[in-house]
Parts: sequence; C-alpha cells; structure tokens
Amino acid sequence: MTINRVTQGMMMDRSYLSLQTGLSRLAKTQEQLSTGRILNRPSDSPTGTTAAMRMRASLADETQYSRNAEDGLGRLGQADLTLSSMLDQVRRVNELAMRSVNTLNQNPAAREALAAEIDQLREGLIDGANATYLGRPVFGGIVNGSAAYDTSGAFVGVQGDVQRTIGKGVRVSVNVDGPEAFGPDGANLFDTLKDLAASVRAGTTTTTQTGMASLDTARNRMTSALAEIGSRTNRLERAAQSAKDSVLDLTSSLSEIENVDLARATMDLKMQEVAYQAALASTARLVQPSLADFLR
Amino acid sequence: MSGSFASLNTALSALRYNRVAMDTASQNIANVDTEGYTRRRVEAATAGTPTTPAMWSRNQNAGGGVRVSGVTRMTDAFLDARVRTEHGKQSYADVRQAVLDRLETGIGEPGENGLSAVMAEFRSAWSDLANNPDSEAARSQVLARGAALADAVQIQARNFSVEAGDQRAKLTAMVSEVNAIAGDLAATNKAISVAQLDGSDAGNLLDQRDLLALRLSELTGGKAVQNGAGGLDFAVNGVPLVTGAIPGALDIASGVTATADSDGNPVTFSVTHPVGGTTAVPAGVTGGTGAVTDMLNTTVPAYVAALGSVAKSVADGVNAVHATGYDEAGAAGGPFFDYDPADPAGSLKILITDKALVAASGLPGGVVDGSVADRLSELRAPETSYQQLVNGFGATVASGRRLAASQSMLTEQVAGARDQLAGVSLDEEMLAMVQYQRGFEAASRVLTTVDSVLDTLINRTGLLR
Repeated sequence: MTINRVTQGMMMDRSYLSLQTGLSRLAKTQEQLSTGRILNRPSDSPTGTTAAMRMRASLADETQYSRNAEDGLGRLGQADLTLSSMLDQVRRVNELAMRSVNTLNQNPAAREALAAEIDQLREGLIDGANATYLGRPVFGGIVNGSAAYDTSGAFVGVQGDVQRTIGKGVRVSVNVDGPEAFGPDGANLFDTLKDLAASVRAGTTTTTQTGMASLDTARNRMTSALAEIGSRTNRLERAAQSAKDSVLDLTSSLSEIENVDLARATMDLKMQEVAYQAALASTARLVQPSLADFLR
Repeated sequence: MSGSFASLNTALSALRYNRVAMDTASQNIANVDTEGYTRRRVEAATAGTPTTPAMWSRNQNAGGGVRVSGVTRMTDAFLDARVRTEHGKQSYADVRQAVLDRLETGIGEPGENGLSAVMAEFRSAWSDLANNPDSEAARSQVLARGAALADAVQIQARNFSVEAGDQRAKLTAMVSEVNAIAGDLAATNKAISVAQLDGSDAGNLLDQRDLLALRLSELTGGKAVQNGAGGLDFAVNGVPLVTGAIPGALDIASGVTATADSDGNPVTFSVTHPVGGTTAVPAGVTGGTGAVTDMLNTTVPAYVAALGSVAKSVADGVNAVHATGYDEAGAAGGPFFDYDPADPAGSLKILITDKALVAASGLPGGVVDGSVADRLSELRAPETSYQQLVNGFGATVASGRRLAASQSMLTEQVAGARDQLAGVSLDEEMLAMVQYQRGFEAASRVLTTVDSVLDTLINRTGLLR
C-alpha cells in the first residue's frame, strides 16, 4: 500500500502489531516444545487429529489382541503340558497291561498288584484331566465349575468353544474339550482303564487285549489333540508377535504425527526469537527520535 | 488608497491568525493519543477584496491581511464507512474465534484423556471380560469404564451447554450496550444539529459521533449513513435503529429469556422504534452479536446433536448386543446404557449397577462363555462417527482462525488508510508550530516597522534642527 502520510500513531500501531505477531509465533513454538506435541488441539491439523485418533484406537486394539493371544497361549500351554504328562502315564498303563498278558502264569497276587497300579494311574489321569488354568478346568469347556471330570471319570463339564480374538474378526479356539481329548462318556479313557484294570485283575487275556486296543485308540486321540494344540499355539504365537510389531509400528507413526521434531522446533524457536528481538530493537529506535529533539 | 493604519490592521490579522493556528497545532498535539480524535487544520483566506463588486466604491487596498476561514476536520466519510464495515466483520470473526477456541479446548482430543481414548478403553474392558468371563474384577472393570464413557460424553455435552449459557448472558449484555450507545448516538446527533445552528465548533461532537457509530458497527455490523443535519443514522441489517435524534431499542425477540436462559427457539432480534414501531430484524446480523447468535443458533446445537447421535449409537449398539447375551446367573441381558432421546449426549448413563448382571455369555444356563463380551469389544462404529465429528469441528476452528487472521490484515489496512488522513503527526505539528511562530514574529516585526514609520512621520517630519 502506498503510504502518503505517516503518523506516530500509525507507527506505534504497526510496531505493536508486528511485536504481537512475533510474540504469538514464539508462544506457539514454545507450546510445541514444552508439550512435546505438534497436535495440541483438533484445529492444529484436523486430518492429523483424525489420523491420530484412529491410530490410538488401533493401538488399543492391537495391544488388546496381543494380550488376548498371550492369555490363549497360557491356556493352551497348560493343556499341552497336562496332555503330555498324561500320555506318559497312559504309556505306563500299556506296559503294565502288556506285562499281564505276556506272563501267562502269573499268580492272582501279581495280577492284583498290576491292576492296583492301573487303578492308581487312572486316578492320576483323572486328576490330570481336571487341570486348571486361572481357576478354570482346561478340559471342562464352558462349565461354571472347577472340575471337568468327577471321581468316577464321567465328564461333568459343558462342551463349548472358548475363543480368543487375536485380530480384527479373527478368533481362535483355545480349549480342548474333555470328550475331544479323552473320548465320549461311556467309552472314554477312564472307562477303558477301568475295564482294563478289571480284566487284568480277572486274568482274561482276550479282554485285556481288547482293552489295550481301546487304549491305543485313546492314546491316538490324545496325540491328535496334542497336535491340534500345537498348531493353535503356533497360530497364537504368530498373532501375538504380529500384534506386538503393529504396536511398535503404530507407536512410531503416532509419534510422527503427534510429536514435535525437537531439532526443528528448537531451530524455529531460535529464529523467531531473533526476529522478535529485531522487531523490539527496531521499535525502540523508531519511537525514540522526534523533531522536538532537534528544535530549539 | 488605504489609510495610514491599514498595515497595522494587516499585521494584527496575521497575529490573530497565527495565534489560532498555534492553538490548533497544540490541540492536535495534546490529542495525539485520544481515541477517535481527528486532526484539525486551520484554513486561511486572504482578507480585503470583497467578492461582490460594488457600484460606487473601489477597493484599492494592496492587502487586507488574513482571516481564519474555518477549522477543517481531516476526515473522509467513505473511509470512515469502510472502517466501520471492516470493524464489524473483524468483531464477528474475533468473537466467534474466541468461543470456538474455548469449546475446542474442552474436547480434549487428540490425547490419552479424550472421549476417543475412553471409548477404546471401554472396548478393551469387554475384551478382557471375554478372556475371563468368570472374573469379578473384569466385570467391575466393564462397569467402571462404561460409567467413565457416559461421564466423558456428558462432560463434553455440559461444556457446550455451559458455553451456550455464557453466550446467552453475553448476548443480553451486548444488546443492552447497543441500546445505551444508540441512546448516546441519538443525543450526539441532536447536539450536532444544535451546534450547527448556532455556529459553534462541532468538531468534538463529530469525533464522538464517529466513535459511537464505530462501536455500534462492532457490536451489530450495522450501517451508518449521514443524515442532512450532520448526524449519523444507524440501521441494523436494514432496520433503522437510530434516526436523527430518535433512538430505537434493539430487543432479543426469541431464543433468550429475560433471565438469560434458553427458550428453545433460535435467537432472533427486533427493533422497537418510537416512530417506525416494532420491526423484526432479518437473520444475518453480523458483528459481535451476530457471532454470538451464530454460536447459539448453529455451532453449539449442531455439535451437541452430533455428539448426541454418537451417544445414541454407543447406547443402542451396546444395548442391542447386550440383550442377546446372558448374565452370570444365566438370565437374558437387560439394557446396559440409558439416555433421554431428547438429549442423548447430556443424559447418557449406565443402567447396570450389579456386576453379576453384565451379560458376557452368549449361551444360557450360567456357563462361563465370553462370546457376547467379545462381540461388544468389536463395536467400533461410534468411534468412527466421533472421529468425523472432531475432524469437522477442528476444520471449522482452523478455518475460523484463518478468516480472523486475514480479516485482521484487511481491518488493519483500512484503519491505516484512515489514520494516514486523520491521525496526528507530531513532526508535522512541530513544523507547523515553528512556521506559525515565525509568522507571528514576522507580523510583530511588521508592527514595529509600521510603528517606526509612523514615528518618523509624526515625530520627525517637518522638524528643522
């Protein structure tokens, strides 16, 4: 704009305005530096704000997915451990049964001892089937109780899927129901063992051999349950890892959007400080002289 | 031929003129900082030769001296009108921006404490419950986070309604200021016409008139027009508020009650004028009152309504899924949230207080299942609509800030142009003073010279030594 006539008032107003502009720029940079954030309110960057909010929501989701996966891993780990040790015990039963068949001339006392050991192992196996994770029976399905099998070896749980969400819309079952691992009631592992103990006690070789065949079936069932657990564990581990990676990625992206580039902000602050000081100095020089100083 | 004492008279007129000029310069200097002061300039004219020729006499005076033909107020009516317009717009932008900034701070996004974060935490609590459906801790967590979500929505809605209440009170105060100033302007108009009749200097009254009209423009964005009698007539959005010496009264016709509460209608204005009667002011008032009106009529209700639909979608979404679930005892789930459909954002609350009633299970019969809690943990729709709401509001605030900044440049430019003409320059006044001082000294010298000439003529002429 062409200035034809400059007055003191105009110069004062202009100087004040430019001082204010400089100071408000300084204040803005100072706010960014002291909060460490570029985005302090939605209007600082509306799209950035939306992105930040979305990222925060995804971050919360991924953290939760990773937590879900960890929880599922704990549960599956408990089932895996239990099933492995139970398999050892079943193997031992098999040995005992085999011995009772092979040594045909055993006396009743020896058979009784073998049968008693099988009974003992059966009780141990029932205990194993009642293993818990965080107070929940791992083979009990969705039962609201603390046991999956009663002392007679009957399933008292409720069959049902226990699932963990490990990704958007991705759910993985983290339980193996009792009947799935140990066979249906009436023909389950514990029933087989009971029959086996009885036939060993009685010394009837044919039924013992039938019992051993059923035991094999039970063992296969447990092994395949174990394999299933293994594959699910793998899947959960991968999911947990990828969720953790996502958390890292998202955190750094969020910081890119929200947080201040310290070096740059410091530079900006320095430059604005210089500009402000220059404005102050020039104002001080401008307002000083007047014709009154030179007239006498 | 002029008389012997004519030069004495000429010198006297010069002494008088320079005195008046120095008075004016000192008046300008004295008022260098006075708000609304327009600098004055003494207009000089040569005295002597009559402008109307006479039939029987001739004017043979070489000079009749100088006379003060007037004191001019250095102002330009068009610039003044422009300044008023820009100030009205500036005031609108500034008031609007101040309110928006306050509202924006209350939203608290983006950050760990905003509503968005609370909603994510609420979903996270459901997910934890899905992992451990029989955990009492997880159940209380869901209830606590649900209550926190309802609180966060309510607090935001309350921020807006508190701000609306403040703005209504402010509007009432602004309207009474408008009426007080309209009264002052009418009185000043009257004083100006009287001063013009009796020929006294109306400069100060005119300064005051312009100042009052400027303030009225800032408050209402209305227009001032010169009337024939030296005063300014003022109209708000086309409806006359002040005509000459008669002030009208601006009233809030609807929207705000006498106690500054809301009456549920949009804010409108009317002017009651003693002559013109009561006239409704068309929508579109600007200035400070216009900004407050827009806040009350548009911005605040729109945000609260959008927040209300977010609250509604949270409550309806959670309730619908929750109703398909079964609580700890195996009974069907009841409603989780409750709200008043007239004001969902302000009334959102959690209905369930007993943690056993949280329906996490998807199967009846009291089994330990978390499938419903799991489904609830994936209820993301309200978050998305809330993000859109915040984005839209942020964009409004940012564009408002840019508008206010560019308007301030324009206002500054126009005010600068006016100041170029009307502002007092100390250097200029100082120079003028020196000039008038010299003029005064020279006129005094003329007086001395004439005196000495006369002395020679009277005392020395004809004397022989």
